[in-house]
Amino acid sequence: MLQELFGYLSYYIPELMCIVLMTTLLVAEASVKDEHGSRDKIYAYAIAVLGLTLIPLCQNMGKNPVHIFHNAITIDAFSTLVKIIMVLGTMGAIWLSRSSRDIYTNLKSEFAIMAVGVLIGGMLLASANNMLTVYLGIETLSILSYVMSSLKRDESTSTEAGMKYALYGGLSAGVALFGISHLYGTLGSIQFVEMMPKLAGLEGGRLAIVLISFLMFFVGIGYKISLFPFHMWTPDVYQGSPIPVTAFFSIVPKMAGLATLVRVSFVFFTDGSALTVSWIGLMLVISAMTMTVGNVTAIGQSSVKRLLAFSSIGHVGMMILGVVVLNEVGVQAILFYGISYLFMTLIAFYITSHLSDMYGTDTYDVFKGLIYKHPVMAIIMASVLFSLAGMPPFSGFIAKFNIFSVVIEKKYYGIAIVAAVNSVISLYYYMKLAKIMVFGKSDGEERVLGFTFQNQAVIVALFIPVVVLGIFWEQVMVLSGNASVFIK
Amino acid sequence: MVSLASYLIISLILFVVGLVVMIARKNIVAILLGIELILNAAALNFVAYSRYATNNLDGHIFSLFIIVVAAAEAAVGLAIVIRFFQIKETIHIDEATQLRN
Repeated sequence: MLQELFGYLSYYIPELMCIVLMTTLLVAEASVKDEHGSRDKIYAYAIAVLGLTLIPLCQNMGKNPVHIFHNAITIDAFSTLVKIIMVLGTMGAIWLSRSSRDIYTNLKSEFAIMAVGVLIGGMLLASANNMLTVYLGIETLSILSYVMSSLKRDESTSTEAGMKYALYGGLSAGVALFGISHLYGTLGSIQFVEMMPKLAGLEGGRLAIVLISFLMFFVGIGYKISLFPFHMWTPDVYQGSPIPVTAFFSIVPKMAGLATLVRVSFVFFTDGSALTVSWIGLMLVISAMTMTVGNVTAIGQSSVKRLLAFSSIGHVGMMILGVVVLNEVGVQAILFYGISYLFMTLIAFYITSHLSDMYGTDTYDVFKGLIYKHPVMAIIMASVLFSLAGMPPFSGFIAKFNIFSVVIEKKYYGIAIVAAVNSVISLYYYMKLAKIMVFGKSDGEERVLGFTFQNQAVIVALFIPVVVLGIFWEQVMVLSGNASVFIK
Repeated sequence: MVSLASYLIISLILFVVGLVVMIARKNIVAILLGIELILNAAALNFVAYSRYATNNLDGHIFSLFIIVVAAAEAAVGLAIVIRFFQIKETIHIDEATQLRN
Protein backbone atom coordinates (compact mmCIF):
# COMPACT_ATOMS: atom_id res chain seq x y z
CA MET A 1 0.00 0.00 0.00
CA LEU A 2 2.62 2.50 1.12
CA GLN A 3 5.03 1.24 -1.51
CA GLU A 4 2.35 1.79 -4.15
CA LEU A 5 1.83 5.33 -2.91
CA PHE A 6 5.52 6.17 -3.21
CA GLY A 7 5.50 4.64 -6.68
CA TYR A 8 2.72 7.07 -7.61
CA LEU A 9 4.65 10.00 -6.21
CA SER A 10 7.35 9.57 -8.83
CA TYR A 11 4.76 10.67 -11.42
CA TYR A 12 3.69 13.58 -9.29
CA ILE A 13 7.05 15.35 -8.85
CA PRO A 14 6.18 18.52 -10.87
CA GLU A 15 3.12 19.27 -8.74
CA LEU A 16 5.03 18.55 -5.54
CA MET A 17 7.79 20.91 -6.64
CA CYS A 18 5.24 23.66 -7.25
CA ILE A 19 3.66 23.09 -3.83
CA VAL A 20 7.06 23.28 -2.13
CA LEU A 21 7.85 26.39 -4.17
CA MET A 22 4.63 28.09 -3.09
CA THR A 23 5.17 27.40 0.61
CA THR A 24 8.82 28.43 0.56
CA LEU A 25 7.90 31.61 -1.32
CA LEU A 26 5.39 32.41 1.42
CA VAL A 27 8.09 32.05 4.06
CA ALA A 28 10.63 34.00 2.02
CA GLU A 29 8.13 36.77 1.37
CA ALA A 30 7.43 37.12 5.07
CA SER A 31 11.10 37.37 5.96
CA VAL A 32 12.16 39.73 3.19
CA LYS A 33 12.82 43.40 3.79
CA ASP A 34 11.94 46.12 1.33
CA GLU A 35 15.16 45.97 -0.60
CA HIS A 36 15.41 45.42 -4.29
CA GLY A 37 18.23 42.90 -4.06
CA SER A 38 16.33 40.41 -1.93
CA ARG A 39 13.22 40.72 -4.07
CA ASP A 40 15.26 39.88 -7.14
CA LYS A 41 16.50 36.76 -5.38
CA ILE A 42 12.90 35.70 -4.81
CA TYR A 43 12.20 36.17 -8.51
CA ALA A 44 15.26 34.21 -9.53
CA TYR A 45 14.29 31.43 -7.13
CA ALA A 46 10.69 31.21 -8.36
CA ILE A 47 11.61 31.18 -12.02
CA ALA A 48 14.46 28.71 -11.47
CA VAL A 49 12.23 26.21 -9.65
CA LEU A 50 9.50 26.58 -12.28
CA GLY A 51 12.15 25.94 -14.92
CA LEU A 52 13.29 22.85 -13.02
CA THR A 53 9.75 21.43 -13.02
CA LEU A 54 10.07 21.21 -16.80
CA ILE A 55 12.60 18.37 -16.38
CA PRO A 56 10.25 15.87 -14.63
CA LEU A 57 7.46 17.05 -16.93
CA CYS A 58 9.54 16.17 -19.98
CA GLN A 59 10.33 12.81 -18.41
CA ASN A 60 6.61 12.20 -17.86
CA MET A 61 5.98 12.86 -21.56
CA GLY A 62 7.78 9.65 -22.45
CA LYS A 63 6.23 7.43 -19.77
CA ASN A 64 3.25 5.17 -20.27
CA PRO A 65 -0.01 6.80 -19.19
CA VAL A 66 -1.16 5.85 -15.70
CA HIS A 67 -3.99 6.56 -13.31
CA ILE A 68 -2.58 7.40 -9.90
CA PHE A 69 -4.03 7.97 -6.42
CA HIS A 70 -6.96 5.57 -6.90
CA ASN A 71 -7.97 6.92 -10.30
CA ALA A 72 -8.12 10.51 -9.07
CA ILE A 73 -5.29 11.77 -11.30
CA THR A 74 -4.24 10.76 -14.79
CA ILE A 75 -0.68 11.32 -15.90
CA ASP A 76 -0.45 11.06 -19.67
CA ALA A 77 1.28 12.88 -22.48
CA PHE A 78 -1.76 15.11 -23.08
CA SER A 79 -2.00 16.47 -19.54
CA THR A 80 1.78 16.76 -19.33
CA LEU A 81 2.01 18.88 -22.48
CA VAL A 82 -0.76 21.15 -21.18
CA LYS A 83 1.18 21.46 -17.92
CA ILE A 84 4.33 22.42 -19.82
CA ILE A 85 2.40 25.18 -21.60
CA MET A 86 1.02 26.41 -18.28
CA VAL A 87 4.44 26.40 -16.58
CA LEU A 88 5.91 28.43 -19.45
CA GLY A 89 3.00 30.86 -19.25
CA THR A 90 3.47 31.28 -15.50
CA MET A 91 7.18 31.92 -15.92
CA GLY A 92 6.44 34.55 -18.55
CA ALA A 93 3.84 36.28 -16.40
CA ILE A 94 6.10 36.31 -13.33
CA TRP A 95 8.92 37.81 -15.37
CA LEU A 96 6.53 40.42 -16.75
CA SER A 97 5.35 41.31 -13.24
CA ARG A 98 8.94 42.06 -12.28
CA SER A 99 9.24 45.05 -14.58
CA SER A 100 5.58 46.10 -14.67
CA ARG A 101 4.61 49.17 -12.72
CA ASP A 102 1.02 47.99 -12.61
CA ILE A 103 1.73 45.86 -9.55
CA TYR A 104 2.74 47.61 -6.36
CA THR A 105 6.35 46.99 -5.43
CA ASN A 106 5.49 45.57 -2.03
CA LEU A 107 3.03 43.12 -3.60
CA LYS A 108 5.31 41.76 -6.29
CA SER A 109 6.37 38.59 -4.58
CA GLU A 110 2.74 37.95 -3.63
CA PHE A 111 1.94 37.94 -7.31
CA ALA A 112 4.48 35.15 -7.75
CA ILE A 113 3.01 33.18 -4.83
CA MET A 114 -0.50 33.35 -6.18
CA ALA A 115 0.56 32.64 -9.75
CA VAL A 116 2.20 29.44 -8.57
CA GLY A 117 -0.97 28.61 -6.62
CA VAL A 118 -3.13 29.05 -9.71
CA LEU A 119 -0.64 26.91 -11.61
CA ILE A 120 -1.10 24.11 -9.06
CA GLY A 121 -4.87 24.32 -9.53
CA GLY A 122 -4.41 24.25 -13.29
CA MET A 123 -2.20 21.18 -13.09
CA LEU A 124 -4.81 19.46 -10.94
CA LEU A 125 -7.49 20.35 -13.47
CA ALA A 126 -5.44 19.26 -16.49
CA SER A 127 -4.94 15.76 -15.15
CA ALA A 128 -8.26 15.39 -13.30
CA ASN A 129 -9.83 11.99 -13.67
CA ASN A 130 -12.80 12.25 -11.33
CA MET A 131 -15.38 14.88 -10.50
CA LEU A 132 -13.86 15.72 -7.12
CA THR A 133 -10.51 16.57 -8.68
CA VAL A 134 -12.23 18.65 -11.34
CA TYR A 135 -14.11 20.60 -8.68
CA LEU A 136 -11.05 21.11 -6.48
CA GLY A 137 -9.01 22.16 -9.51
CA ILE A 138 -11.60 24.71 -10.60
CA GLU A 139 -11.85 26.16 -7.10
CA THR A 140 -8.10 26.30 -6.45
CA LEU A 141 -7.77 28.10 -9.75
CA SER A 142 -10.69 30.46 -9.13
CA ILE A 143 -10.23 31.49 -5.51
CA LEU A 144 -6.65 32.59 -6.10
CA SER A 145 -7.68 34.30 -9.33
CA TYR A 146 -10.15 36.47 -7.42
CA VAL A 147 -7.34 37.75 -5.23
CA MET A 148 -5.02 38.23 -8.19
CA SER A 149 -7.46 40.37 -10.11
CA SER A 150 -7.99 42.68 -7.13
CA LEU A 151 -4.25 42.95 -6.50
CA LYS A 152 -4.17 46.67 -7.30
CA ARG A 153 -6.01 47.18 -4.10
CA ASP A 154 -6.05 50.97 -3.83
CA GLU A 155 -7.87 51.36 -7.11
CA SER A 156 -11.58 50.90 -7.36
CA THR A 157 -11.44 49.35 -10.84
CA SER A 158 -9.23 46.49 -9.71
CA THR A 159 -11.33 45.82 -6.63
CA GLU A 160 -14.45 45.92 -8.73
CA ALA A 161 -12.91 43.45 -11.18
CA GLY A 162 -12.06 41.08 -8.35
CA MET A 163 -15.54 41.37 -6.89
CA LYS A 164 -17.30 40.73 -10.19
CA TYR A 165 -15.01 37.77 -10.80
CA ALA A 166 -15.75 36.36 -7.34
CA LEU A 167 -19.52 36.71 -7.68
CA TYR A 168 -19.80 35.31 -11.21
CA GLY A 169 -17.24 32.61 -10.37
CA GLY A 170 -19.04 31.54 -7.20
CA LEU A 171 -22.34 31.30 -9.06
CA SER A 172 -20.94 29.27 -11.95
CA ALA A 173 -19.01 26.93 -9.65
CA GLY A 174 -22.18 26.40 -7.59
CA VAL A 175 -24.27 25.60 -10.67
CA ALA A 176 -21.59 23.20 -11.93
CA LEU A 177 -21.47 21.54 -8.53
CA PHE A 178 -25.24 21.08 -8.52
CA GLY A 179 -24.94 19.38 -11.90
CA ILE A 180 -22.12 17.15 -10.63
CA SER A 181 -24.23 16.10 -7.64
CA HIS A 182 -27.01 14.84 -9.91
CA LEU A 183 -24.51 13.13 -12.19
CA TYR A 184 -23.19 11.35 -9.11
CA GLY A 185 -26.70 10.31 -8.11
CA THR A 186 -27.76 9.00 -11.52
CA LEU A 187 -24.49 7.41 -12.56
CA GLY A 188 -23.54 6.10 -9.13
CA SER A 189 -19.94 7.29 -8.88
CA ILE A 190 -17.66 10.28 -9.19
CA GLN A 191 -14.95 8.34 -11.06
CA PHE A 192 -14.93 8.98 -14.80
CA VAL A 193 -14.03 5.32 -15.41
CA GLU A 194 -17.07 4.04 -13.52
CA MET A 195 -19.49 6.70 -14.77
CA MET A 196 -18.81 6.15 -18.47
CA PRO A 197 -20.31 2.63 -18.90
CA LYS A 198 -23.50 3.65 -17.06
CA LEU A 199 -24.25 6.31 -19.69
CA ALA A 200 -25.13 3.73 -22.34
CA GLY A 201 -28.07 2.16 -20.52
CA LEU A 202 -29.89 5.36 -19.69
CA GLU A 203 -33.33 6.23 -20.96
CA GLY A 204 -36.36 8.39 -20.23
CA GLY A 205 -36.27 10.57 -17.14
CA ARG A 206 -32.76 9.60 -16.12
CA LEU A 207 -31.39 10.56 -19.51
CA ALA A 208 -33.06 13.96 -19.19
CA ILE A 209 -31.53 14.46 -15.73
CA VAL A 210 -28.07 13.52 -17.03
CA LEU A 211 -28.44 15.86 -19.99
CA ILE A 212 -29.40 18.80 -17.77
CA SER A 213 -26.65 17.94 -15.30
CA PHE A 214 -24.04 17.91 -18.04
CA LEU A 215 -25.31 21.30 -19.17
CA MET A 216 -24.87 22.62 -15.62
CA PHE A 217 -21.41 21.08 -15.39
CA PHE A 218 -20.59 22.75 -18.67
CA VAL A 219 -21.48 26.14 -17.13
CA GLY A 220 -18.56 25.75 -14.73
CA ILE A 221 -16.01 24.95 -17.42
CA GLY A 222 -17.47 27.32 -19.99
CA TYR A 223 -17.18 30.10 -17.46
CA LYS A 224 -13.50 29.38 -16.81
CA ILE A 225 -12.61 29.51 -20.50
CA SER A 226 -15.09 32.35 -21.12
CA LEU A 227 -17.36 30.74 -23.69
CA PHE A 228 -20.50 32.47 -24.87
CA PRO A 229 -22.83 33.13 -22.97
CA PHE A 230 -20.57 33.04 -19.91
CA HIS A 231 -18.02 35.49 -21.31
CA MET A 232 -19.49 38.66 -19.79
CA TRP A 233 -16.99 38.82 -16.96
CA THR A 234 -13.92 38.50 -19.19
CA PRO A 235 -13.50 42.05 -20.54
CA ASP A 236 -14.34 43.64 -17.19
CA VAL A 237 -11.93 41.47 -15.25
CA TYR A 238 -9.21 41.77 -17.89
CA GLN A 239 -9.51 45.54 -17.92
CA GLY A 240 -9.59 45.97 -14.17
CA SER A 241 -6.73 43.62 -13.35
CA PRO A 242 -3.07 44.63 -13.52
CA ILE A 243 -1.56 43.74 -16.92
CA PRO A 244 0.66 40.83 -15.77
CA VAL A 245 -2.44 39.29 -14.20
CA THR A 246 -4.34 39.74 -17.45
CA ALA A 247 -1.54 38.06 -19.39
CA PHE A 248 -1.56 35.24 -16.88
CA PHE A 249 -5.36 34.82 -17.04
CA SER A 250 -5.38 34.57 -20.79
CA ILE A 251 -3.05 31.55 -20.72
CA VAL A 252 -3.09 29.38 -17.62
CA PRO A 253 -6.78 29.10 -16.60
CA LYS A 254 -7.81 28.87 -20.24
CA MET A 255 -5.47 25.99 -21.04
CA ALA A 256 -6.52 24.15 -17.87
CA GLY A 257 -10.22 24.59 -18.65
CA LEU A 258 -9.73 23.51 -22.26
CA ALA A 259 -7.88 20.39 -21.08
CA THR A 260 -10.81 19.47 -18.84
CA LEU A 261 -13.29 20.10 -21.63
CA VAL A 262 -11.28 17.86 -23.95
CA ARG A 263 -11.01 15.09 -21.39
CA VAL A 264 -14.69 15.19 -20.40
CA SER A 265 -15.78 15.20 -24.05
CA PHE A 266 -13.52 12.29 -24.89
CA VAL A 267 -14.50 10.21 -21.89
CA PHE A 268 -18.25 10.66 -22.10
CA PHE A 269 -19.16 11.55 -25.67
CA THR A 270 -17.45 9.29 -28.14
CA ASP A 271 -20.01 6.52 -28.66
CA GLY A 272 -22.38 8.18 -31.16
CA SER A 273 -25.44 8.07 -28.88
CA ALA A 274 -28.15 10.72 -28.66
CA LEU A 275 -26.20 12.40 -25.86
CA THR A 276 -23.12 12.68 -28.07
CA VAL A 277 -25.05 14.16 -30.96
CA SER A 278 -26.61 16.83 -28.76
CA TRP A 279 -23.21 17.58 -27.19
CA ILE A 280 -21.62 18.11 -30.61
CA GLY A 281 -24.52 20.31 -31.70
CA LEU A 282 -24.22 22.38 -28.53
CA MET A 283 -20.47 22.81 -28.94
CA LEU A 284 -20.84 23.84 -32.59
CA VAL A 285 -23.37 26.55 -31.72
CA ILE A 286 -21.33 27.76 -28.74
CA SER A 287 -18.13 27.84 -30.73
CA ALA A 288 -19.73 29.89 -33.52
CA MET A 289 -21.32 32.30 -31.03
CA THR A 290 -18.13 32.66 -28.97
CA MET A 291 -16.02 33.48 -32.01
CA THR A 292 -18.52 35.94 -33.41
CA VAL A 293 -19.22 37.76 -30.17
CA GLY A 294 -15.53 37.97 -29.29
CA ASN A 295 -14.38 39.27 -32.65
CA VAL A 296 -17.30 41.61 -33.40
CA THR A 297 -17.14 43.24 -29.96
CA ALA A 298 -13.38 43.64 -30.26
CA ILE A 299 -13.84 46.04 -33.19
CA GLY A 300 -15.36 48.84 -31.13
CA GLN A 301 -12.87 48.80 -28.26
CA SER A 302 -10.64 51.73 -27.45
CA SER A 303 -8.48 50.06 -24.80
CA VAL A 304 -5.81 47.65 -26.04
CA LYS A 305 -6.20 45.50 -22.94
CA ARG A 306 -9.91 45.11 -23.66
CA LEU A 307 -9.12 44.41 -27.31
CA LEU A 308 -6.81 41.57 -26.28
CA ALA A 309 -9.48 40.28 -23.89
CA PHE A 310 -12.10 40.08 -26.64
CA SER A 311 -9.63 38.61 -29.10
CA SER A 312 -8.80 35.91 -26.55
CA ILE A 313 -12.52 35.06 -26.44
CA GLY A 314 -12.42 34.71 -30.22
CA HIS A 315 -9.36 32.47 -30.06
CA VAL A 316 -10.95 30.18 -27.50
CA GLY A 317 -14.00 29.87 -29.75
CA MET A 318 -11.64 28.75 -32.49
CA MET A 319 -9.85 26.25 -30.25
CA ILE A 320 -13.16 24.67 -29.20
CA LEU A 321 -13.60 23.48 -32.80
CA GLY A 322 -10.83 20.97 -32.09
CA VAL A 323 -13.06 19.46 -29.38
CA VAL A 324 -16.10 19.26 -31.64
CA VAL A 325 -14.54 16.79 -34.05
CA LEU A 326 -13.80 14.37 -31.17
CA ASN A 327 -10.75 12.71 -32.66
CA GLU A 328 -7.02 12.72 -32.04
CA VAL A 329 -6.27 15.12 -34.89
CA GLY A 330 -8.56 17.67 -33.23
CA VAL A 331 -6.67 17.40 -29.93
CA GLN A 332 -3.42 17.75 -31.82
CA ALA A 333 -4.73 20.96 -33.39
CA ILE A 334 -5.78 22.32 -29.98
CA LEU A 335 -2.39 21.60 -28.45
CA PHE A 336 -0.54 23.24 -31.33
CA TYR A 337 -2.86 26.24 -31.11
CA GLY A 338 -2.21 26.43 -27.37
CA ILE A 339 1.56 26.41 -27.81
CA SER A 340 1.58 29.09 -30.48
CA TYR A 341 -1.03 31.22 -28.70
CA LEU A 342 1.10 31.17 -25.54
CA PHE A 343 4.03 32.97 -27.18
CA MET A 344 1.90 35.42 -29.17
CA THR A 345 -0.12 36.52 -26.15
CA LEU A 346 2.90 36.92 -23.92
CA ILE A 347 4.61 39.22 -26.43
CA ALA A 348 1.48 41.27 -27.00
CA PHE A 349 1.03 41.78 -23.28
CA TYR A 350 4.74 42.53 -22.70
CA ILE A 351 4.67 45.38 -25.17
CA THR A 352 1.28 46.70 -24.10
CA SER A 353 2.42 46.57 -20.50
CA HIS A 354 5.53 48.59 -21.17
CA LEU A 355 3.75 51.22 -23.22
CA SER A 356 0.90 51.63 -20.77
CA ASP A 357 3.40 51.94 -17.91
CA MET A 358 5.11 54.71 -19.86
CA TYR A 359 2.00 56.70 -20.75
CA GLY A 360 -0.24 55.71 -17.85
CA THR A 361 -3.06 54.60 -20.13
CA ASP A 362 -3.69 51.76 -22.53
CA THR A 363 -5.64 53.33 -25.37
CA TYR A 364 -4.66 52.89 -29.02
CA ASP A 365 -2.92 56.26 -28.88
CA VAL A 366 0.07 54.89 -26.99
CA PHE A 367 0.92 52.85 -30.09
CA LYS A 368 0.97 55.90 -32.38
CA GLY A 369 4.13 56.06 -34.46
CA LEU A 370 5.78 53.30 -32.50
CA ILE A 371 7.85 52.36 -35.54
CA TYR A 372 9.82 55.62 -35.25
CA LYS A 373 10.20 55.44 -31.51
CA HIS A 374 11.27 51.85 -31.12
CA PRO A 375 11.54 49.93 -34.41
CA VAL A 376 12.32 46.51 -32.89
CA MET A 377 9.31 46.69 -30.62
CA ALA A 378 7.05 47.86 -33.43
CA ILE A 379 8.17 45.18 -35.87
CA ILE A 380 7.75 42.42 -33.32
CA MET A 381 4.34 43.72 -32.24
CA ALA A 382 3.18 44.00 -35.86
CA SER A 383 4.35 40.46 -36.62
CA VAL A 384 2.57 39.16 -33.54
CA LEU A 385 -0.61 40.92 -34.62
CA PHE A 386 -0.29 39.31 -38.07
CA SER A 387 0.25 35.99 -36.36
CA LEU A 388 -2.78 36.43 -34.09
CA ALA A 389 -4.85 37.19 -37.17
CA GLY A 390 -3.61 33.97 -38.73
CA MET A 391 -1.38 35.24 -41.51
CA PRO A 392 1.53 33.22 -42.90
CA PRO A 393 4.46 32.79 -42.32
CA PHE A 394 3.81 32.94 -38.57
CA SER A 395 2.73 30.21 -36.19
CA GLY A 396 -0.80 31.59 -35.91
CA PHE A 397 -1.39 30.64 -39.53
CA ILE A 398 -0.42 27.00 -39.01
CA ALA A 399 -2.52 26.86 -35.83
CA LYS A 400 -5.63 28.13 -37.62
CA PHE A 401 -4.90 25.98 -40.66
CA ASN A 402 -4.89 22.85 -38.48
CA ILE A 403 -8.24 23.74 -36.94
CA PHE A 404 -9.75 24.40 -40.39
CA SER A 405 -8.41 21.15 -41.80
CA VAL A 406 -9.87 18.98 -39.01
CA VAL A 407 -13.24 20.73 -39.26
CA ILE A 408 -13.42 20.36 -43.04
CA GLU A 409 -12.29 16.75 -42.82
CA LYS A 410 -15.38 16.10 -40.69
CA LYS A 411 -17.51 17.96 -43.27
CA TYR A 412 -18.75 20.69 -40.90
CA TYR A 413 -18.72 23.24 -43.72
CA GLY A 414 -21.06 25.72 -42.04
CA ILE A 415 -18.83 26.26 -39.04
CA ALA A 416 -15.76 26.45 -41.26
CA ILE A 417 -17.33 29.38 -43.09
CA VAL A 418 -18.18 31.08 -39.79
CA ALA A 419 -14.58 30.60 -38.65
CA ALA A 420 -13.23 32.01 -41.91
CA VAL A 421 -15.45 35.10 -41.66
CA ASN A 422 -14.28 35.57 -38.09
CA SER A 423 -10.65 35.40 -39.17
CA VAL A 424 -11.33 38.23 -41.60
CA ILE A 425 -13.02 40.30 -38.88
CA SER A 426 -10.10 39.73 -36.52
CA LEU A 427 -7.70 40.74 -39.29
CA TYR A 428 -9.51 44.08 -39.46
CA TYR A 429 -9.00 45.11 -35.85
CA TYR A 430 -5.48 43.74 -35.59
CA MET A 431 -4.53 45.65 -38.70
CA LYS A 432 -6.11 48.81 -37.31
CA LEU A 433 -3.65 48.62 -34.43
CA ALA A 434 -0.75 47.83 -36.79
CA LYS A 435 -1.71 50.77 -38.98
CA ILE A 436 -1.63 53.14 -36.01
CA MET A 437 1.85 51.92 -35.16
CA VAL A 438 3.22 52.55 -38.65
CA PHE A 439 1.26 55.53 -40.00
CA GLY A 440 0.07 57.21 -36.82
CA LYS A 441 1.66 60.55 -35.97
CA SER A 442 2.91 60.62 -32.42
CA ASP A 443 2.52 63.84 -30.46
CA GLY A 444 6.09 64.07 -29.26
CA GLU A 445 9.13 62.69 -31.02
CA GLU A 446 10.44 61.14 -27.83
CA ARG A 447 11.82 57.61 -27.83
CA VAL A 448 10.53 54.69 -25.82
CA LEU A 449 12.59 54.84 -22.67
CA GLY A 450 13.37 52.29 -20.08
CA PHE A 451 12.92 49.24 -22.28
CA THR A 452 16.05 47.56 -21.03
CA PHE A 453 18.23 45.12 -22.88
CA GLN A 454 16.93 42.36 -20.62
CA ASN A 455 13.35 43.01 -21.70
CA GLN A 456 14.32 43.20 -25.35
CA ALA A 457 16.13 39.88 -25.06
CA VAL A 458 13.04 38.28 -23.50
CA ILE A 459 10.79 39.61 -26.24
CA VAL A 460 13.11 38.44 -29.00
CA ALA A 461 13.44 35.04 -27.32
CA LEU A 462 9.64 34.76 -27.16
CA PHE A 463 9.38 35.93 -30.76
CA ILE A 464 11.65 33.21 -32.14
CA PRO A 465 9.05 30.43 -31.60
CA VAL A 466 6.38 32.56 -33.29
CA VAL A 467 8.45 32.61 -36.48
CA VAL A 468 10.03 29.18 -36.19
CA LEU A 469 6.72 27.43 -35.50
CA GLY A 470 5.33 29.07 -38.62
CA ILE A 471 8.00 27.53 -40.84
CA PHE A 472 9.39 24.44 -39.15
CA TRP A 473 6.20 23.25 -37.49
CA GLU A 474 6.57 19.51 -38.07
CA GLN A 475 8.46 18.76 -34.86
CA VAL A 476 5.88 20.42 -32.67
CA MET A 477 3.06 18.80 -34.62
CA VAL A 478 4.61 15.40 -33.99
CA LEU A 479 5.02 16.32 -30.32
CA SER A 480 1.40 17.35 -29.94
CA GLY A 481 0.36 14.38 -32.07
CA ASN A 482 2.03 12.05 -29.59
CA ALA A 483 0.31 13.89 -26.77
CA SER A 484 -3.13 13.66 -28.36
CA VAL A 485 -3.54 9.93 -27.63
CA PHE A 486 -4.62 9.51 -24.05
CA ILE A 487 -6.32 6.87 -22.01
CA LYS A 488 -9.87 6.88 -20.75
CA MET B 1 -40.52 8.15 6.39
CA VAL B 2 -38.14 10.54 4.67
CA SER B 3 -37.36 9.47 1.13
CA LEU B 4 -34.75 10.45 -1.40
CA ALA B 5 -37.30 12.51 -3.30
CA SER B 6 -37.99 14.80 -0.35
CA TYR B 7 -34.28 15.55 0.04
CA LEU B 8 -33.99 16.28 -3.66
CA ILE B 9 -36.98 18.62 -3.55
CA ILE B 10 -35.53 20.50 -0.58
CA SER B 11 -32.18 20.86 -2.28
CA LEU B 12 -33.84 22.05 -5.48
CA ILE B 13 -35.74 24.67 -3.46
CA LEU B 14 -32.49 25.76 -1.80
CA PHE B 15 -30.82 26.01 -5.20
CA VAL B 16 -33.62 28.12 -6.67
CA VAL B 17 -33.73 30.36 -3.60
CA GLY B 18 -29.98 30.86 -3.92
CA LEU B 19 -30.31 31.82 -7.58
CA VAL B 20 -33.16 34.22 -6.82
CA VAL B 21 -31.18 35.83 -4.00
CA MET B 22 -28.21 36.30 -6.32
CA ILE B 23 -30.33 37.93 -9.00
CA ALA B 24 -32.77 39.95 -6.91
CA ARG B 25 -30.73 41.26 -3.98
CA LYS B 26 -28.54 44.32 -4.45
CA ASN B 27 -26.48 43.89 -1.30
CA ILE B 28 -23.17 42.18 -2.07
CA VAL B 29 -23.07 40.32 1.24
CA ALA B 30 -26.54 38.95 0.50
CA ILE B 31 -25.30 37.81 -2.91
CA LEU B 32 -22.45 35.93 -1.21
CA LEU B 33 -25.06 34.28 1.02
CA GLY B 34 -26.89 33.21 -2.13
CA ILE B 35 -23.73 31.45 -3.32
CA GLU B 36 -23.55 29.63 0.01
CA LEU B 37 -27.15 28.43 -0.42
CA ILE B 38 -26.34 27.01 -3.87
CA LEU B 39 -23.26 25.21 -2.55
CA ASN B 40 -25.23 23.78 0.36
CA ALA B 41 -27.96 22.57 -1.99
CA ALA B 42 -25.32 20.59 -3.86
CA ALA B 43 -23.82 19.25 -0.64
CA LEU B 44 -27.26 18.09 0.53
CA ASN B 45 -27.75 16.32 -2.80
CA PHE B 46 -24.47 14.48 -2.43
CA VAL B 47 -25.23 13.23 1.06
CA ALA B 48 -28.79 12.20 0.16
CA TYR B 49 -27.69 10.30 -2.94
CA SER B 50 -24.91 8.68 -0.98
CA ARG B 51 -27.37 7.47 1.67
CA TYR B 52 -30.21 6.28 -0.57
CA ALA B 53 -29.03 5.62 -4.09
CA THR B 54 -25.40 4.82 -4.68
CA ASN B 55 -24.24 2.89 -1.60
CA ASN B 56 -20.73 4.30 -1.55
CA LEU B 57 -18.98 6.99 0.42
CA ASP B 58 -18.02 9.26 -2.48
CA GLY B 59 -20.87 11.63 -1.70
CA HIS B 60 -19.91 12.06 1.93
CA ILE B 61 -16.30 12.82 1.03
CA PHE B 62 -17.44 15.25 -1.64
CA SER B 63 -19.70 17.16 0.76
CA LEU B 64 -16.82 17.56 3.23
CA PHE B 65 -14.71 19.08 0.48
CA ILE B 66 -17.60 21.38 -0.47
CA ILE B 67 -17.76 22.72 3.09
CA VAL B 68 -14.03 23.46 3.11
CA VAL B 69 -14.05 25.14 -0.29
CA ALA B 70 -17.16 27.18 0.57
CA ALA B 71 -15.40 28.53 3.65
CA ALA B 72 -12.34 29.52 1.62
CA GLU B 73 -14.46 31.14 -1.04
CA ALA B 74 -16.50 33.11 1.51
CA ALA B 75 -13.31 34.34 3.18
CA VAL B 76 -11.85 35.64 -0.07
CA GLY B 77 -15.19 37.06 -1.21
CA LEU B 78 -15.72 38.94 2.05
CA ALA B 79 -12.16 40.28 1.99
CA ILE B 80 -12.73 41.73 -1.47
CA VAL B 81 -16.10 43.17 -0.41
CA ILE B 82 -14.46 44.85 2.58
CA ARG B 83 -11.91 46.43 0.26
CA PHE B 84 -14.73 47.56 -2.02
CA PHE B 85 -16.53 49.07 0.97
CA GLN B 86 -13.42 50.94 2.11
CA ILE B 87 -13.06 52.52 -1.33
CA LYS B 88 -16.68 53.20 -2.23
CA GLU B 89 -18.27 53.32 1.25
CA THR B 90 -21.19 51.24 0.07
CA ILE B 91 -21.86 47.57 -0.65
CA HIS B 92 -24.56 48.15 -3.19
CA ILE B 93 -23.95 46.16 -6.38
CA ASP B 94 -25.22 48.98 -8.59
CA GLU B 95 -22.23 51.07 -7.53
CA ALA B 96 -19.90 48.63 -9.29
CA THR B 97 -20.21 50.18 -12.71
CA GLN B 98 -16.77 51.54 -13.50
CA LEU B 99 -15.87 48.73 -15.88
CA ARG B 100 -18.11 49.09 -18.89
CA ASN B 101 -17.75 49.51 -22.60
